[in-house]
Amino acid sequence: MRLVHCSYPVAYRGFAPLAARFNRSPWSGLETEIDRLFTAAQGEAGGGAPSGRFPVDVYEDKANTYVRADLPGVDRKAINVEVVEGTLTLSAERKMPAAEGRAETSISFRRSLQLGEKVQADRITAAYENGVLTVTLPKPEEVQPKKITVTVS
Amino acid sequence: MSLPASPMLSAQLPPTDVAGPANAPAAGATLKPAFALSETTDAFHVEVALPGVNKDGLEVLAKDGQVRITGRRAWRQPADWISLHRETSDDGYELVLTHDRHVDTGRVTAELRDGVLRLALPKAEDLKPRKILIN
Repeated sequence: MRLVHCSYPVAYRGFAPLAARFNRSPWSGLETEIDRLFTAAQGEAGGGAPSGRFPVDVYEDKANTYVRADLPGVDRKAINVEVVEGTLTLSAERKMPAAEGRAETSISFRRSLQLGEKVQADRITAAYENGVLTVTLPKPEEVQPKKITVTVS
Repeated sequence: MSLPASPMLSAQLPPTDVAGPANAPAAGATLKPAFALSETTDAFHVEVALPGVNKDGLEVLAKDGQVRITGRRAWRQPADWISLHRETSDDGYELVLTHDRHVDTGRVTAELRDGVLRLALPKAEDLKPRKILIN
Protein backbone atom coordinates (compact mmCIF):
# COMPACT_ATOMS: atom_id res chain seq x y z
CA MET A 1 0.00 0.00 0.00
CA ARG A 2 1.29 3.43 -0.78
CA LEU A 3 0.77 6.30 1.61
CA VAL A 4 -0.17 9.14 -0.63
CA HIS A 5 -1.06 12.34 1.14
CA CYS A 6 -4.06 13.35 -0.83
CA SER A 7 -7.74 13.15 -0.25
CA TYR A 8 -8.64 11.86 -3.67
CA PRO A 9 -9.97 8.34 -3.49
CA VAL A 10 -8.05 5.70 -5.36
CA ALA A 11 -11.21 3.62 -5.49
CA TYR A 12 -12.44 4.59 -8.90
CA ARG A 13 -9.32 3.41 -10.62
CA GLY A 14 -8.82 0.29 -8.61
CA PHE A 15 -5.41 -0.85 -7.61
CA ALA A 16 -3.34 0.40 -10.49
CA PRO A 17 0.38 -0.36 -10.66
CA LEU A 18 2.66 2.64 -10.74
CA ALA A 19 3.35 2.58 -14.46
CA ALA A 20 -0.31 2.63 -15.35
CA ARG A 21 -0.80 5.95 -13.64
CA PHE A 22 0.99 7.71 -16.43
CA ASN A 23 -1.26 6.31 -19.11
CA ARG A 24 -3.72 8.79 -20.49
CA SER A 25 -7.26 7.57 -20.51
CA PRO A 26 -10.08 9.84 -21.54
CA TRP A 27 -11.95 9.56 -18.28
CA SER A 28 -9.04 10.09 -15.89
CA GLY A 29 -8.76 13.78 -16.45
CA LEU A 30 -7.95 15.79 -13.37
CA GLU A 31 -7.22 12.80 -11.15
CA THR A 32 -4.36 11.66 -13.35
CA GLU A 33 -2.81 15.11 -13.38
CA ILE A 34 -2.92 15.48 -9.62
CA ASP A 35 -1.56 12.00 -9.14
CA ARG A 36 1.37 12.82 -11.39
CA LEU A 37 2.12 15.86 -9.27
CA PHE A 38 2.27 13.71 -6.15
CA THR A 39 4.41 11.08 -7.80
CA ALA A 40 6.84 13.71 -9.06
CA ALA A 41 6.99 15.39 -5.66
CA GLN A 42 7.95 12.12 -4.07
CA GLY A 43 11.09 12.07 -6.17
CA GLU A 44 10.73 8.71 -7.83
CA ALA A 45 13.10 9.51 -10.67
CA GLY A 46 15.36 6.73 -11.87
CA GLY A 47 12.91 3.86 -11.51
CA GLY A 48 14.32 2.71 -8.20
CA ALA A 49 12.24 1.23 -5.41
CA PRO A 50 9.23 3.45 -4.71
CA SER A 51 9.78 5.73 -1.77
CA GLY A 52 7.21 7.12 0.59
CA ARG A 53 6.87 10.31 2.54
CA PHE A 54 5.59 10.44 6.05
CA PRO A 55 4.71 13.20 8.47
CA VAL A 56 6.66 13.86 11.66
CA ASP A 57 5.84 15.88 14.74
CA VAL A 58 8.50 17.26 17.07
CA TYR A 59 7.83 18.05 20.72
CA GLU A 60 9.96 18.80 23.74
CA ASP A 61 9.68 18.95 27.47
CA LYS A 62 12.31 19.83 30.06
CA ALA A 63 14.17 16.56 29.83
CA ASN A 64 13.72 15.27 26.28
CA THR A 65 13.03 16.03 22.68
CA TYR A 66 10.42 13.76 21.10
CA VAL A 67 9.95 12.92 17.45
CA ARG A 68 6.78 11.09 16.39
CA ALA A 69 6.41 9.73 12.88
CA ASP A 70 3.33 8.26 11.21
CA LEU A 71 4.57 5.00 9.74
CA PRO A 72 1.67 2.56 9.59
CA GLY A 73 2.26 -1.01 8.52
CA VAL A 74 6.05 -1.08 8.43
CA ASP A 75 8.26 -3.94 9.50
CA ARG A 76 9.37 -3.46 13.09
CA LYS A 77 12.69 -5.09 12.27
CA ALA A 78 13.25 -2.74 9.35
CA ILE A 79 12.81 0.45 11.38
CA ASN A 80 16.11 2.26 11.74
CA VAL A 81 16.80 5.22 14.01
CA GLU A 82 20.20 6.85 13.70
CA VAL A 83 21.76 9.97 15.12
CA VAL A 84 24.94 11.16 13.47
CA GLU A 85 26.39 14.51 14.52
CA GLY A 86 23.13 16.08 15.49
CA THR A 87 21.13 14.72 12.57
CA LEU A 88 18.41 12.21 13.29
CA THR A 89 17.59 9.86 10.45
CA LEU A 90 14.49 7.66 10.48
CA SER A 91 14.15 4.93 7.92
CA ALA A 92 11.71 2.08 7.50
CA GLU A 93 10.37 -0.31 4.95
CA ARG A 94 6.88 -1.55 4.23
CA LYS A 95 6.53 -4.85 2.46
CA MET A 96 3.46 -5.59 0.42
CA PRO A 97 2.99 -9.32 -0.01
CA ALA A 98 2.51 -10.84 -3.41
CA ALA A 99 -1.07 -10.87 -4.59
CA GLU A 100 -2.84 -11.86 -7.78
CA GLY A 101 -0.90 -10.48 -10.69
CA ARG A 102 1.67 -8.69 -8.55
CA ALA A 103 4.98 -9.79 -7.11
CA GLU A 104 6.03 -8.77 -3.64
CA THR A 105 6.97 -5.10 -3.56
CA SER A 106 8.33 -2.85 -0.89
CA ILE A 107 8.34 0.86 -0.23
CA SER A 108 11.16 2.52 1.66
CA PHE A 109 10.83 5.57 3.89
CA ARG A 110 13.65 7.83 4.94
CA ARG A 111 13.74 11.22 6.55
CA SER A 112 16.39 13.28 8.33
CA LEU A 113 15.94 16.03 10.86
CA GLN A 114 18.49 18.50 12.19
CA LEU A 115 18.52 18.45 15.95
CA GLY A 116 21.72 20.26 16.77
CA GLU A 117 23.64 19.49 19.94
CA LYS A 118 20.68 19.17 22.24
CA VAL A 119 20.77 15.39 22.11
CA GLN A 120 22.48 12.71 24.19
CA ALA A 121 22.94 10.19 21.43
CA ASP A 122 23.64 7.20 23.62
CA ARG A 123 20.41 7.42 25.58
CA ILE A 124 17.93 7.51 22.74
CA THR A 125 14.96 5.17 22.90
CA ALA A 126 12.25 4.44 20.39
CA ALA A 127 8.85 2.76 20.48
CA TYR A 128 6.49 1.73 17.69
CA GLU A 129 2.82 1.55 18.57
CA ASN A 130 -0.32 1.64 16.42
CA GLY A 131 1.77 2.55 13.44
CA VAL A 132 3.42 5.56 15.08
CA LEU A 133 7.14 5.60 15.81
CA THR A 134 8.07 7.71 18.85
CA VAL A 135 11.74 8.53 19.37
CA THR A 136 12.75 9.96 22.73
CA LEU A 137 16.00 11.94 22.69
CA PRO A 138 17.18 13.00 26.13
CA LYS A 139 18.67 16.45 26.32
CA PRO A 140 22.21 16.75 27.64
CA GLU A 141 22.47 17.48 31.34
CA GLU A 142 23.77 20.99 30.85
CA VAL A 143 20.83 22.03 28.74
CA GLN A 144 18.15 20.92 31.18
CA PRO A 145 16.93 23.83 33.27
CA LYS A 146 18.31 23.49 36.76
CA LYS A 147 17.29 25.31 39.83
CA ILE A 148 20.20 27.06 41.48
CA THR A 149 19.84 27.92 45.12
CA VAL A 150 21.56 31.09 46.12
CA THR A 151 22.39 31.79 49.70
CA VAL A 152 22.37 35.40 50.61
CA SER A 153 24.72 36.12 53.43
CA MET B 1 16.13 23.73 15.56
CA SER B 2 15.57 23.74 11.83
CA LEU B 3 13.61 21.18 9.89
CA PRO B 4 13.58 20.67 6.15
CA ALA B 5 10.53 22.19 4.52
CA SER B 6 8.30 19.46 3.17
CA PRO B 7 5.31 20.18 1.00
CA MET B 8 2.73 18.37 3.07
CA LEU B 9 -0.68 18.33 1.60
CA SER B 10 -3.11 17.17 4.17
CA ALA B 11 -6.75 17.82 4.44
CA GLN B 12 -6.40 19.87 7.62
CA LEU B 13 -4.22 22.68 8.86
CA PRO B 14 -1.95 21.47 11.68
CA PRO B 15 -3.18 22.51 15.13
CA THR B 16 -1.29 25.06 17.24
CA ASP B 17 0.66 23.84 20.22
CA VAL B 18 -2.13 24.34 22.69
CA ALA B 19 -3.29 20.85 23.54
CA GLY B 20 -6.88 20.26 22.52
CA PRO B 21 -9.53 19.19 25.00
CA ALA B 22 -8.98 15.68 26.25
CA ASN B 23 -11.21 13.00 24.73
CA ALA B 24 -12.57 15.29 22.06
CA PRO B 25 -15.45 13.48 20.36
CA ALA B 26 -14.91 11.97 16.94
CA ALA B 27 -17.59 14.22 15.49
CA GLY B 28 -16.32 17.35 13.82
CA ALA B 29 -13.46 17.53 11.35
CA THR B 30 -12.26 14.20 10.04
CA LEU B 31 -9.61 13.25 7.54
CA LYS B 32 -10.06 10.83 4.71
CA PRO B 33 -7.29 8.28 5.17
CA ALA B 34 -5.15 6.91 2.36
CA PHE B 35 -6.42 3.55 1.21
CA ALA B 36 -5.99 1.01 -1.55
CA LEU B 37 -8.56 -1.29 -3.11
CA SER B 38 -7.86 -4.56 -4.80
CA GLU B 39 -10.06 -7.29 -6.11
CA THR B 40 -9.87 -11.05 -6.40
CA THR B 41 -12.48 -13.34 -7.87
CA ASP B 42 -14.07 -13.87 -4.46
CA ALA B 43 -13.67 -10.63 -2.61
CA PHE B 44 -12.64 -7.00 -2.49
CA HIS B 45 -9.68 -6.16 -0.30
CA VAL B 46 -9.21 -2.76 1.28
CA GLU B 47 -6.12 -1.53 3.09
CA VAL B 48 -6.56 1.70 5.03
CA ALA B 49 -3.74 3.66 6.64
CA LEU B 50 -4.88 4.68 10.11
CA PRO B 51 -1.73 5.64 12.02
CA GLY B 52 -2.30 6.11 15.72
CA VAL B 53 -5.59 4.22 15.82
CA ASN B 54 -6.03 1.17 18.02
CA LYS B 55 -8.93 -1.26 18.26
CA ASP B 56 -10.78 0.83 20.83
CA GLY B 57 -10.81 3.86 18.62
CA LEU B 58 -11.89 2.06 15.46
CA GLU B 59 -15.39 1.37 14.22
CA VAL B 60 -16.33 -0.39 10.99
CA LEU B 61 -20.02 -0.24 10.19
CA ALA B 62 -21.69 -1.97 7.26
CA LYS B 63 -25.08 -0.50 6.50
CA ASP B 64 -27.28 0.44 3.55
CA GLY B 65 -24.86 -0.61 0.86
CA GLN B 66 -21.96 1.24 2.47
CA VAL B 67 -19.03 0.38 4.66
CA ARG B 68 -18.17 3.25 6.97
CA ILE B 69 -14.83 3.25 8.77
CA THR B 70 -14.22 5.75 11.57
CA GLY B 71 -11.06 5.91 13.61
CA ARG B 72 -9.74 8.04 16.42
CA ARG B 73 -6.13 8.44 17.45
CA ALA B 74 -5.39 6.86 20.81
CA TRP B 75 -2.54 9.13 21.84
CA ARG B 76 -3.00 12.46 23.57
CA GLN B 77 -0.23 14.98 23.87
CA PRO B 78 0.95 15.15 27.51
CA ALA B 79 0.34 18.48 29.17
CA ASP B 80 3.99 19.37 29.68
CA TRP B 81 5.03 18.66 26.10
CA ILE B 82 5.51 21.70 23.88
CA SER B 83 4.99 21.07 20.20
CA LEU B 84 7.77 22.50 18.05
CA HIS B 85 6.67 21.22 14.66
CA ARG B 86 3.44 19.51 13.66
CA GLU B 87 2.70 17.78 10.41
CA THR B 88 0.06 15.35 11.58
CA SER B 89 -3.42 16.25 12.66
CA ASP B 90 -5.26 15.24 15.80
CA ASP B 91 -8.48 14.83 13.85
CA GLY B 92 -10.02 11.41 13.45
CA TYR B 93 -10.38 9.48 10.22
CA GLU B 94 -13.49 8.68 8.27
CA LEU B 95 -13.85 6.65 5.13
CA VAL B 96 -17.03 5.60 3.37
CA LEU B 97 -16.98 2.95 0.68
CA THR B 98 -20.13 2.41 -1.31
CA HIS B 99 -20.69 -1.09 -2.59
CA ASP B 100 -24.39 -1.05 -3.45
CA ARG B 101 -25.01 -4.49 -1.96
CA HIS B 102 -22.39 -6.21 -4.06
CA VAL B 103 -20.77 -7.34 -0.83
CA ASP B 104 -21.88 -10.09 1.51
CA THR B 105 -21.73 -7.97 4.67
CA GLY B 106 -22.25 -10.98 6.92
CA ARG B 107 -18.83 -12.38 6.04
CA VAL B 108 -16.64 -9.29 6.16
CA THR B 109 -13.37 -9.77 8.03
CA ALA B 110 -11.23 -6.98 9.43
CA GLU B 111 -7.76 -6.89 10.93
CA LEU B 112 -6.03 -3.89 12.47
CA ARG B 113 -2.29 -4.12 12.89
CA ASP B 114 0.32 -1.39 13.33
CA GLY B 115 -2.10 1.29 12.21
CA VAL B 116 -3.19 -0.51 9.04
CA LEU B 117 -6.74 -1.85 8.69
CA ARG B 118 -7.19 -4.69 6.24
CA LEU B 119 -10.72 -5.50 5.22
CA ALA B 120 -11.83 -8.47 3.16
CA LEU B 121 -15.26 -7.90 1.66
CA PRO B 122 -16.54 -11.12 0.11
CA LYS B 123 -18.50 -10.55 -3.05
CA ALA B 124 -22.18 -11.29 -3.01
CA GLU B 125 -22.90 -14.61 -4.64
CA ASP B 126 -24.50 -13.27 -7.79
CA LEU B 127 -21.39 -11.20 -8.58
CA LYS B 128 -19.08 -14.14 -8.85
CA PRO B 129 -18.59 -15.62 -12.28
CA ARG B 130 -20.89 -18.57 -12.58
CA LYS B 131 -20.93 -21.25 -15.18
CA ILE B 132 -24.33 -21.87 -16.70
CA LEU B 133 -25.07 -25.45 -17.60
CA ILE B 134 -26.53 -26.20 -20.95
CA ASN B 135 -29.11 -28.85 -21.39
